[in-house]
Amino acid sequence: MALAFDEYGRPFIIIKEQEQKTRLRGIDAQKANISAGKSVARILRTSLGPKGMDKMLQSPDGEVTITNDGATILEQMDVDNQIAKLMVELSRSQDYEIGDGTTGVVVMAGALLEQAERLLERGIHPIRVAEGYEMASRIAVEHLERIANKFEFSSTNVEPLVQTCMTTLSSKIVNRCKRSLAEIAVNAVLAVADLDRKDVNLELIKVEGKVGGKLEDTELIKGIIVDKDMSHPQMPKHIEDAKIAILTCPFEPPKPKTKHKVDIDTVEKFQNLRGQEQKYFDDMVQKCKDVGATLVICQWGFDDEANHLLMHRNLPAVRWVGGVELELIAIATGGRIVPRFQELTPEKLGKAGLVREKSFGTTKDRMIYIEHCANSRAVTIFIRGGNKMMIEETKRSIHDALCVARNLIRNNSIVYGGGAAEISCSLAVEAAADRHPGVEQYAIRAFAEALDSIPMALAENSGLQPIETLSAVKSQQIKENNTCCGIDCNDVGTNDMREQNVFETLIGKQQQILLATQVVKMILKIDDVISPSEY
Amino acid sequence: MTAMMQPQIILLKEGTDTSQGKAQLVSNINACMAVADVVRTTLGPRGMDKLIHDEKGNTTISNDGATIMKLLDIVHPAAKILVDIAKSQDSEVGDGTTTVVLLAGEFLKEAKPFIEDGVHPQNLIRSFRTAAYLAIEMVKELAQSIEGKSLEEKKSLLAKCAATTLSSKLIGGEKEFFASMVVDAVLAIGTDDRLNMIGIKKVPGGNMRDSFLVNGVAFKKTFSYAGFEQQPKKFVMPKILLLNIELELKSEKENAEIRLSDPSQYQSIVDAEWNIIYDKLDKCVKSGAKIVLSRLAIGDLGTQYFADRDIFCAGRVAEEDLQRVAAATGGTVQTSVNNVIDEVLGSCELFEERQVGNERFNIFSGCPSGQTATIVLRGGADQFIEEAERSLHDAIMIVRRALKNSTVVAGGGAIDMEISRYLRQHARTIAGKSQLFINSYAKALEVIPRQLCDNAGFDATDVLNKLRQKHALQSGEGKPYGVDINTGGIADNYANFVWEPAVVKINAINAATEAACLVLSVDETVKNPKSESAQGDAAAGAMGGRGRGGAAFRGRGGRGMRRR
Repeated sequence: MALAFDEYGRPFIIIKEQEQKTRLRGIDAQKANISAGKSVARILRTSLGPKGMDKMLQSPDGEVTITNDGATILEQMDVDNQIAKLMVELSRSQDYEIGDGTTGVVVMAGALLEQAERLLERGIHPIRVAEGYEMASRIAVEHLERIANKFEFSSTNVEPLVQTCMTTLSSKIVNRCKRSLAEIAVNAVLAVADLDRKDVNLELIKVEGKVGGKLEDTELIKGIIVDKDMSHPQMPKHIEDAKIAILTCPFEPPKPKTKHKVDIDTVEKFQNLRGQEQKYFDDMVQKCKDVGATLVICQWGFDDEANHLLMHRNLPAVRWVGGVELELIAIATGGRIVPRFQELTPEKLGKAGLVREKSFGTTKDRMIYIEHCANSRAVTIFIRGGNKMMIEETKRSIHDALCVARNLIRNNSIVYGGGAAEISCSLAVEAAADRHPGVEQYAIRAFAEALDSIPMALAENSGLQPIETLSAVKSQQIKENNTCCGIDCNDVGTNDMREQNVFETLIGKQQQILLATQVVKMILKIDDVISPSEY
Repeated sequence: MTAMMQPQIILLKEGTDTSQGKAQLVSNINACMAVADVVRTTLGPRGMDKLIHDEKGNTTISNDGATIMKLLDIVHPAAKILVDIAKSQDSEVGDGTTTVVLLAGEFLKEAKPFIEDGVHPQNLIRSFRTAAYLAIEMVKELAQSIEGKSLEEKKSLLAKCAATTLSSKLIGGEKEFFASMVVDAVLAIGTDDRLNMIGIKKVPGGNMRDSFLVNGVAFKKTFSYAGFEQQPKKFVMPKILLLNIELELKSEKENAEIRLSDPSQYQSIVDAEWNIIYDKLDKCVKSGAKIVLSRLAIGDLGTQYFADRDIFCAGRVAEEDLQRVAAATGGTVQTSVNNVIDEVLGSCELFEERQVGNERFNIFSGCPSGQTATIVLRGGADQFIEEAERSLHDAIMIVRRALKNSTVVAGGGAIDMEISRYLRQHARTIAGKSQLFINSYAKALEVIPRQLCDNAGFDATDVLNKLRQKHALQSGEGKPYGVDINTGGIADNYANFVWEPAVVKINAINAATEAACLVLSVDETVKNPKSESAQGDAAAGAMGGRGRGGAAFRGRGGRGMRRR
């Protein structure tokens, strides 16, 4: 902190606990910030693309996560540096908004910072650099718009959607059955999508996982899975054309919420009370029976006596079903949630074609499937896999795929993946740079170079010669005037991403560029870091 | 008889720090200059940001003078004055907080050599006040009114003012976009002093351009119970009922207790309770409302009841959001569901639940009274949105100010140069010391264009000389010339639409002069030692205490020496 001196040349304190604060300013602050940002990007660089590697992260309580998803890696790394935290948030916001491309955005920001450092060393004002980047990002986004292709799909022709989801999944650990997973994701999204409003509520898609089985056993269920079993082991395990009563009241005598006390002073009264209690149970079960319910799903618990009665009357029941699941069941089966027995009517019952309890392998785990529902606006993706980590990673991958499908429904434009879009943008930005008078020209050119870093990292991760490959593809793009040329990561033999069916969403790509630019601008604009010394 | 022989008379408590005289005045000035130096680099479109990290681990990245000053946690008594003027500028006009600190620092810097030369501070103060008065008159004279223009014209003029403010901020790259958004928002709420009718909602994710203005109210989906998803999520011309009661099955009276002697009465009590809540819900439905909002909870029972009847409900809506909905839709918040008449129901053209980033938002648009606006801000990182919010706040304040006192002056240092020239000219007509002081005041005003150049990396001396030449032209055509931040030269900033409301400048000059005069008029500082309890608190406190103890000793010594 700047020190002031009093009449005797003795420094005095202006800011509270001045000695304990550290301050970095000017070019030092920028250098330090840039190197922090770069080091975060370097960690993620190797997980980019189909041949990208995974990271293993151990949390303080010993839980292990293995993932390839940029947002998850950064979240779990628990970074302390402020600038690194900005990068984490950058990745997170890409995750929130688009759901995919979380690694790419950080790699992009890192490359921009790296280029900025060089420009700063040449004495260019950081804000000029930031402004140049901003201009360049606008050029790039417009260029993307130009090279984007519209994608026609309908509820019958989902092939384009599946192809795009496959591109996302190909960089994940689950890529060996990416085809089937992509299909599952697309079907799930289409089931819940409101195509007119272009709105997809992902909360209606439940993703459930269970250890055991193969990844190939993962399936989409047009209905709901509840991780519960029937309240009584002897109840029927298979109900066809079920009529479901969805209750939010326990199978217990009702209690007034107000404090109350029942005075019992005679034996008769006691017996009376007891009789009444039993009658309650009887009535409850009878009411369910009367309206024609063949299955009861309840948010709360059952009294043992009620359970016995249910069994006795041949009315299968499931208890302790969570509120969210209950809601999904209600949506899927078209039933209404009923708050007390008096209000049960036949119209309020949900309908499902098949309800079955399924046990898995040799374990005692059972789950209840509610399938063939009247209204399949709520669906479940049920993931199987060898171990918990695998399932968690599959969940994340499916989430990415779901987001991609959702984005395509919102905006059906796509660009070509495999670095093709970046290379094309880089060329466009490079060409635009020369037309720009002023110092920004350098920044724009640097931006073009930073764009190259994505295909470069892709090539590197795929074990190709990065510089050679990139220059070959670049020249091919210009020579053939074909914006679909990208890095051939899978060694298929062609650089044309159209043939390889590698697509990414336009909004995802645009978002990546804009977000990265935005955060880089923020970092470049800081020239003064004041912090308590322990950091 | 020397002073040293006399026994010391202790007037003040042990450990009290006193210092006085010229020397302490100089040290106060030094302290203020040091503080002004901190914010110096944030001025102007090429100004940089500060990252401030506090003990709790919160990080703020800001360009806003007032925010930085607040977070610096300044303890020096004289320097605190600068914090206060930054705050007052913030609450009075909302913008120009960096300017005011910088000006105050510069006035003091100019005053310092005079003080050292033995000029009485009061002389300086008087001259500074005169100069400030003249400067403000000048601003008023130069200000151009935007009154009497058509709405469209006014809008674009206001947007220019907002854009000038925003250009120095992080969101400067999209200043036109945000400026027009801010102008629309301010115009929407009308002329009333109801700033809280502009809501700013922050949603991480997306880029700046995804931010949007809702001509009405938007708020995040509240906590919901099972059954919520079964409610319809879109209404055209719905009626809206606003409540401030709980719609939940609960005990009506906390302390009541029901005693039953006959178990058969049990059911009736249970039924009675259910009837109370059903009665309430039924009244809501009967009112004809399609949307029910409550500040308090709407329980799962209520949620399902409404879902059954195709009504949308949301409980635990934040107070301010509910107030905004009430203002926007023309409804009133009810504290009872009895006698709900049509007049108390609000209405809007369209209600929709929409996905914004990772959140779902309830959006009421096309409201009849139209006196509310909500800006939904998007951005890559939390700090980014925080800073964007502060910037928008500044812009909103500026637009409101410009709307009220609709006069503007050219920014970019143009007005400062013109005042400076005028004061210099005026100084020549004064005989006596005051001439010097007003001249130095005029010089201090040049700090604004000088700092703008410095921050942008231009040659300040060169640019300033060019500006002086322009402003000295007899014809007066050079008056609107200021720094051209893009080329490093000078330009007619009025024609380039770099505008600031005159009131910002007036307030800044006033506040800065006041603060400078205040610091100059202090001739003794008495700092009481920390109270006993506070001393034991922290190790840091003990250290500071020791430092002050030493200072106190020397302070007394100083007095003795001077007397000799």
